[in-house]
Amino acid sequence: MAQFASLGAASYNNRKGMEKILLIEDEELIIRLLSKKLAAIGYDVSLAMNGEEGLEKIKQIIPDLILLDIVMPRMGGFEVMAEMKKDEKIADIPVIIISNSGQPLELERAKELGAVDWLVKTEFDPKEVAEKIQKYIRPTD
Amino acid sequence: MRVCAPKFQIPEKTTIKTMDKPIYSNSAPPPPAKLSPGDQSLRERELAELSEMKARLEEANGVLEVRINAKTRALRELAANLEKEMKERTEELRRKVAESENSRVALMNMLEDMEDLRRRAEEEREKTMAIIANFSDGLMFFDARDRLALVNPRIENYFSINKTESKNMIGGRISDIVRFAPMSPLGEVFAGSLERVSRRELSLNEKTVFEVSVLEVAGRAGKIGTLLIIHDISREKMVEKMKTEFVSIAAHQLRTPISAIKWTLRMILDGDLGPINDEQREFLDKTYKSNERMINLINDLLNVTRIEEGRQVYNSVVADIEEVVRGLIANYEDMARQKNLNLSFEKIAPVIPTVKIDLEKIKLVASNLIENSLKYTPAGGKISVTLGEEDGNAMVEVIDTGIGIPAEQQDRIFTKYFRSANAIKAETEGTGLGLFIAKNIVEAHGGKIRFVSEPGRATKFSFVLPPAESD
Repeated sequence: MAQFASLGAASYNNRKGMEKILLIEDEELIIRLLSKKLAAIGYDVSLAMNGEEGLEKIKQIIPDLILLDIVMPRMGGFEVMAEMKKDEKIADIPVIIISNSGQPLELERAKELGAVDWLVKTEFDPKEVAEKIQKYIRPTD
Repeated sequence: MRVCAPKFQIPEKTTIKTMDKPIYSNSAPPPPAKLSPGDQSLRERELAELSEMKARLEEANGVLEVRINAKTRALRELAANLEKEMKERTEELRRKVAESENSRVALMNMLEDMEDLRRRAEEEREKTMAIIANFSDGLMFFDARDRLALVNPRIENYFSINKTESKNMIGGRISDIVRFAPMSPLGEVFAGSLERVSRRELSLNEKTVFEVSVLEVAGRAGKIGTLLIIHDISREKMVEKMKTEFVSIAAHQLRTPISAIKWTLRMILDGDLGPINDEQREFLDKTYKSNERMINLINDLLNVTRIEEGRQVYNSVVADIEEVVRGLIANYEDMARQKNLNLSFEKIAPVIPTVKIDLEKIKLVASNLIENSLKYTPAGGKISVTLGEEDGNAMVEVIDTGIGIPAEQQDRIFTKYFRSANAIKAETEGTGLGLFIAKNIVEAHGGKIRFVSEPGRATKFSFVLPPAESD
């Protein structure tokens, strides 16, 4: 997803303390696998199972980066991003989309809403997702 | 009709008698009387004179007789000639009458034939008009001067116009017709003139889609007009859309469990979920690869649905094709080694034109070609990928020593879902979508894809991409 590469996020690099990642995803298996992988690498991982819960946690935790699914119950990923835009405290948090879809029009929309990257789950594995994340924030050693 | 010659005959033997009596006399001869001696000599003299006269007369008579006979002969000849001529004329006349009778009969026959032809032509015309009127497609016929000559009722139906409005269009050019509001959608297809189009789609509204074709109608003497055919494809479009939507939804739904399987297997294989033994690793690795094939299949189906829906969006960037191809070769080196195949890359032109491409899509094209070569080249074979230049375009070629494409199936090789007989035999797995997708992507970039293949020996696929336009 070349068109998303290197959009913003530089200011979030190399912060003090454990970098906080919020994973908003409704698929339990994906949540467990990814959180295990990211925790093992050294990130502070929080979870939300739908968009609504996700938005609350974003405001509460103010994560350094958000991994966001698109198709979810209650509130989808696009709505979450649109809501984030309305709150300047969270508007600039980098968002990486992780989705089973990857239609060009969806990618366009995500880009407009400020997503920094879009990963199609079948094209990446947890290790590669972790590598992508490290482009935007580094885990605390 | 019979014309008889009049009989004109002269008796065969006609002699004009002159011997018994003088042929010329004003009065009867004097009666005989008793004569004196003087009178006697006078009488003798007279008698001698008379006898001399008689002799002369007889002589004259003879001459006359000869002349008359000659004349008679001449007359007879003349009569005979006349008769002959008359016969000939009569015969000729009879012949001419017969001829004219024949001509009359022939003429009558011709008239009958013509009447028959006319009737048949009329019938044919009626039949043709009935066919045109009842034709399931909308038809508009323009004459040789591009003026509307005929509209069938289907057109009225399609564009919601009445008979009078339809009649009013007759004689108009297409530029006049599209100015009439109900017919204005046709303006999308024709920019003022009746250019030749083939199966151009025209959406009247969300539900109605037409397919417009224009073809020139030529007779023996050349162009007689232009036929505009409007075919309603709304139903096909709807079915196609539903099919595409189904494939799209099915593929997306399949992706969810498949990505979960992929991630789980990957993490187990990477040791993230604890140690595994070698046998477990081997099985899990094979399962992972099967799952990857399923992912590729789903991606192919999604790509096809996007191509068919015209939704394939291209994000073109100026790129170095060499970097793209080299990167791909590196991905396939392991696979080539495992299959004991020699995979090489060579740049065969000093300068390769810079291209503007959608990186992911062009990678997909090159991958499809390289994967085909890897699949269909027997162990010990060679696959060489070259990067060159052709007529200012960048050219990628993938050449293998594989099983080739059977000659009789070569024309179908870019058809969706098509797999050649020897390919199915060699490798059961395959969707027949790879080359269809490759062709669509290359052509969407303004490029061309082609191949040459010698069955059982070698195949070369090439695609060219136009150079990036310098801004």
